[in-house]
Amino acid sequence: MNQNHDLTAFHGKAHFWGRLTLWAVVAATIIPPLYLSFVLGYHPGWGVILAAFAGVAAFVGVMWILEPVSYFPSLGISGTYMSFLVGNISNMCLPCSAAAQNAVNAEPGSKKAELAATLGIAGASLVHITVLIPIVLGGAILVAFLPPAVQTAFQFVLPAIFGGVTIQFAMKRPVYGIIGVFMGILITLLPIPSFIKVMVCVSITIALTFLYEKYQQSKRMLAEEISVQEN
Amino acid sequence: MEQILEIANSPMMWVFALFVMLIVFFQAAVFIRLVKRNAPQIEMSKAEVNKALRTGIISALGPSLGIIIIAVSLITLIGAPLTLMRIGIIGSAAYELTAAGIGAKAYGVEIGKDGYNLQAFTTAVWAMCLGGLGWLLSAALFTKSLGKVQQKIAAKNTKMMALISTAAMMGAFGYFVAGQMVTGVSTSLVLIVSAVTMAVLMMISERRSIGWLKEWALGITLIVGMSFGYLTTIF
Repeated sequence: MNQNHDLTAFHGKAHFWGRLTLWAVVAATIIPPLYLSFVLGYHPGWGVILAAFAGVAAFVGVMWILEPVSYFPSLGISGTYMSFLVGNISNMCLPCSAAAQNAVNAEPGSKKAELAATLGIAGASLVHITVLIPIVLGGAILVAFLPPAVQTAFQFVLPAIFGGVTIQFAMKRPVYGIIGVFMGILITLLPIPSFIKVMVCVSITIALTFLYEKYQQSKRMLAEEISVQEN
Repeated sequence: MEQILEIANSPMMWVFALFVMLIVFFQAAVFIRLVKRNAPQIEMSKAEVNKALRTGIISALGPSLGIIIIAVSLITLIGAPLTLMRIGIIGSAAYELTAAGIGAKAYGVEIGKDGYNLQAFTTAVWAMCLGGLGWLLSAALFTKSLGKVQQKIAAKNTKMMALISTAAMMGAFGYFVAGQMVTGVSTSLVLIVSAVTMAVLMMISERRSIGWLKEWALGITLIVGMSFGYLTTIF
C-alpha cells in the first residue's frame, strides 16, 4: 500500500474531536451535582461526597484504567473515543463494530476495518440516544405496555449477542475462537479478582494465538526445508 | 420522595441532560463525516461506507432496547432527565444503580427508602457522576498513547495487527460467553442457538453472496436467540 494511502490525517482529527467531546462531557456531567449542591443548596458536605466517591472508586476504580486499555485493540482510536462516551461496550459497541466490519468484508486490523468499526459504533450511538429519548420521555409507561413475553425474551439479550458475535469471529479463525472461549471458561472459574478478568483473558488469548502462529510458521519453514533437502 | 422527583424532573435538569445528548449526537456526526472524507484514501467505496453505517444502526436496535428496558427502573429513583443522561453516556443500569446506592449509603440512608431526602439524592448524583468521570478521563488521556503503540506495531508488521485485534476480540468475547454459561442452562442454550443461527446466516450470505443478509445478521440472530430463550421459560 502506498504511503499516501494512510489514515494519519484521520487519526489526528479523531484525537482532536474525540478529546474535545470527551472533555465537554466531563464538564457537562459535573454540572448537575454542582447545581444541586450550590444553586439549590442541598449540599451534603464534602466529607460525605468524598466517602461516596471512595466507595464508587473501590467498586469500579480499577476498571477506569483497565477497560480502555483492554478494549483498545478491538475498538481502535475513534472507536475508543465513542465507546467510552456511550458506554455499553461489550453489549452494544463491540458487537456493532464487528457486524459493520463483517458486512463490508474488512480484514481485522486493517484500515478498512478501522473505518468500518467507527461507522458501526457511530450508528449504534445514534440509535441508542434516538431510542432512549422517547422511552424516557414516555416514562416507564411505554415499557409497562410491552407484552410480558417480550420482557422475558429480553432477559436473554446478552447470551444472544455474545453467542452471535463470538461465532462470527470463530468461523474465520476457529483456533482463535477455541482459545478465547477456553480461556474465558478457565478465567471465569479461577478465583482471581473479577475486575481484572477481562484484562487477563484478553492478554492471555493474544499471547497464546501469537505462540500458535509462531508454531505454525516454524512448522511451515521446517516443511520447506525438508522439501528443499529432498530436491 | 415526591419532593426529590420534583427537583429531579425540573426543567434545569432536562436542560443538562439534553446538553449531554447533544454532545453524543455531535460526536457521532463528526466521526461519520471524518470517515466519509477519508474513506476514498484507503479505497473504501461510498457504498461500503453506507453499508457499514447501516449495519451499525440495525445491529444496535436490539442491544439498545435491552439496555433501556432495564434502565427505566432508574426513573423512579433519580428522575427521568438524570436517567437519560446517565444511560445515554457510559453507564449501564447496574453500575448507576450501585453507584447511586453507594452515594445514598455514604449519606447514611438506603436509596428510595426512609430518610432518602434531597441531600441524600444529591450525594447519589455526585457518586454517579464522579464515578462515571473515571472512564471519560482515562479514555481522553490514554487513547493518544495507545494509538502510538498501535502505530509502531502496525509499521513493523501488519499481520501482527490482524492477529492482535482478532485475538483481543476473541479473548473478550470468550470471557463474556463463559460468564453467561455459568448463569444457567437456558442461557447456555440461547448461546448455542444464537451461535448456530449466526453461523448459518453467514454461510448462506457467503455461498449465495447476499450482501444485505450480513447487515441484518446480528439483528436476526438476536430475535431467534431471544425467542428461543422465551420458549425455554414456558416449557
